[in-house]
Amino acid sequence: MFILGLDVITTAAILFIVSAGLLMVFGVMKIINFSHGSFLTVGGYSSVIVARFGLSWWWSLPVSLAIGFLLGMLVERLIVRPLYARPLDAILATWGLGIIVGQLITLAFGRSVQMVASPINGAMLLFGRPYSIYRLILVGVALFLAVTAGWLFNGTRLGLQTRAVIMNEALARAMGISSSRVRFITFSSGAALAAAAGCLITPLTSVDPNMGVPWVVGAFMLVLLSGSSLLSLAAASLLLGGAQVIVSTFLNPVLGGLTIAVLAALVLRVRPEGFARG
Amino acid sequence: MSKVISLFSPVGARVRVLSVCACVIGSIVNHVAVAADPVKIGVPIGLSGANSVVAPSVVQEGQLAVDEINAKGGILGRQVSLEVADDGSGAAGAQKAFDSLIFDKKVNALISMETSAARNAGLPIVSRGKVPFIYASQYEGHSCNRYMYVDAWVPDQQVAPIVDYFSKQYHAKKYFLIGSDYAFGRGMLDFTKKYIEKSGGQVLAAEYLPMDGSDWTSIISKLQAAKPDALITATAAGAPNVTLTKQLRAAGVKIPYGNLAVDEGTAKSMGADASGIFISGSYVTNIDTPANRTFLAAVEKRFGKDLKTPNDLSVPEYEAIYLYKAAVEKAGSFDTAKVIPALAQVSFEGPRGKIQMNKQRHTPLTMYLGQVQDDGSVKVIASFRDVDPGAQCPDLK
Repeated sequence: MFILGLDVITTAAILFIVSAGLLMVFGVMKIINFSHGSFLTVGGYSSVIVARFGLSWWWSLPVSLAIGFLLGMLVERLIVRPLYARPLDAILATWGLGIIVGQLITLAFGRSVQMVASPINGAMLLFGRPYSIYRLILVGVALFLAVTAGWLFNGTRLGLQTRAVIMNEALARAMGISSSRVRFITFSSGAALAAAAGCLITPLTSVDPNMGVPWVVGAFMLVLLSGSSLLSLAAASLLLGGAQVIVSTFLNPVLGGLTIAVLAALVLRVRPEGFARG
Repeated sequence: MSKVISLFSPVGARVRVLSVCACVIGSIVNHVAVAADPVKIGVPIGLSGANSVVAPSVVQEGQLAVDEINAKGGILGRQVSLEVADDGSGAAGAQKAFDSLIFDKKVNALISMETSAARNAGLPIVSRGKVPFIYASQYEGHSCNRYMYVDAWVPDQQVAPIVDYFSKQYHAKKYFLIGSDYAFGRGMLDFTKKYIEKSGGQVLAAEYLPMDGSDWTSIISKLQAAKPDALITATAAGAPNVTLTKQLRAAGVKIPYGNLAVDEGTAKSMGADASGIFISGSYVTNIDTPANRTFLAAVEKRFGKDLKTPNDLSVPEYEAIYLYKAAVEKAGSFDTAKVIPALAQVSFEGPRGKIQMNKQRHTPLTMYLGQVQDDGSVKVIASFRDVDPGAQCPDLK
């Protein structure tokens, strides 16, 4: 039971970290960034690059954040901004971008699976049972992320402007807030966060050109349920991630893979605003 | 005045004679040209898709075999050429590849390594085209077709060494099985379960994840709760192997671990995480026989720094081409009806030892049990000569 609980919490933490970037973009810009998976992949390959330079794995965190931010800036300016008035086309454009980035990575690194050594290996004993240290660290990372994002959102001027844009973009612009600047920073930060997430999951998975793809669907479902609130995302991650772990453990993992999608559909049917408040 | 010459006038008679002569000469020339036509060996293979990582090594070794055979005069005096077609590592691509090779390019034989999905889609086309097909890949067994021979291992040959070693060396009685949810994963583990139970052991559980799944958390937790003596896995090649191994090591799993689906190259590149894993196969690069040493020297000379390391999925291709040559020479003809029975009668001494596909279209093989060392190399712990493939195709003799 105790191990099951730890599994639920660590899985929820991983889902939260992966989905946070997507949530930011969706909340502010009301579009789903379907290239989120390729930003995850870019973050994963940042670890590969750092390893090739012989540096310690911990460098890949700032490197992936930087690369993700730069890439996000480019994408926002060149692809998303021109399609500002056409959100459906913007979504399609991000989907296409995702495919292109995947192929570019294949051209640069080849199709094969890359190995990245884990920074911390092995398990620690918790109440006499071994549990993966790295997974526990990720819980800490998720909490840190939630707290930092919360502070930025609620305690800074930029956060105030962002909240205004989320509530009513037209009105915010009328009040003199540069919504295009807010969108620019939000998209770049969301991309940076996605890249960092991709880098953070490499000790638990392999790095290959399609590593981000399976995560996008799950992240997409969680974000749909969460609207624009990080707190809702945390709740959704816990509930749906927990359901996935429980189904995988007591039934079988094949059904477990379906759980998030099925539950998301059910929740939205019953309560269209999901876990968001109002 | 009309310039047309009637073919039935005296002038027309000369035209008729000349045109008949031209036809006869033309067909003689054509027949001579046909006799000197190259022998085409079709290679439908996953240049894209799941097998794209291993396909280059298979094509390289096929090319080496063809080059060596051509240098010695070809097959029955005819030069050999390879026709490679991409089957996308799946059923839809295989249909296109097999169709184009058999009916467009009119190959004399198909010799290749493919996923089980691709093979199963291609077999009906092989039957329609009546072309010999040598399947040069390990697989889950029991695939039978009148035109197909197999020169690589089946579970009956690969599983026994690992299970026997675990029960003898580690006194393992309780096993936990993990696999990917598709034909190969399920086929391998079904056989493994039967073999373990027949040897007096017990299978605590067999858990599967979809092929593209990367989250083994719940399965690993079940493993730790069940406390088995040993673990045996059969996942899809590539990413699932890596993710499972990483997560097992992250969770601190240290019991003896036999991996039925990882090759030497992938194990080597997994680094420290792979240390201690047991693998079983019919080829490792440090097999110490003259045939293997000559082969490795030849392939290094031919491809230099572009060389893709020979492995258990590529070496059977090299040997299969030589087996085809031997069968055609024994039959004295390229005619499918004569080549098919001859394929069971010939043998070839290759890098993996003696290959003869005379056990219900499959071949006894020398299997090697190896363990990945800390530095990534594979140390051969034991070898088993001439392991029988078992009754794979009892309806085909």
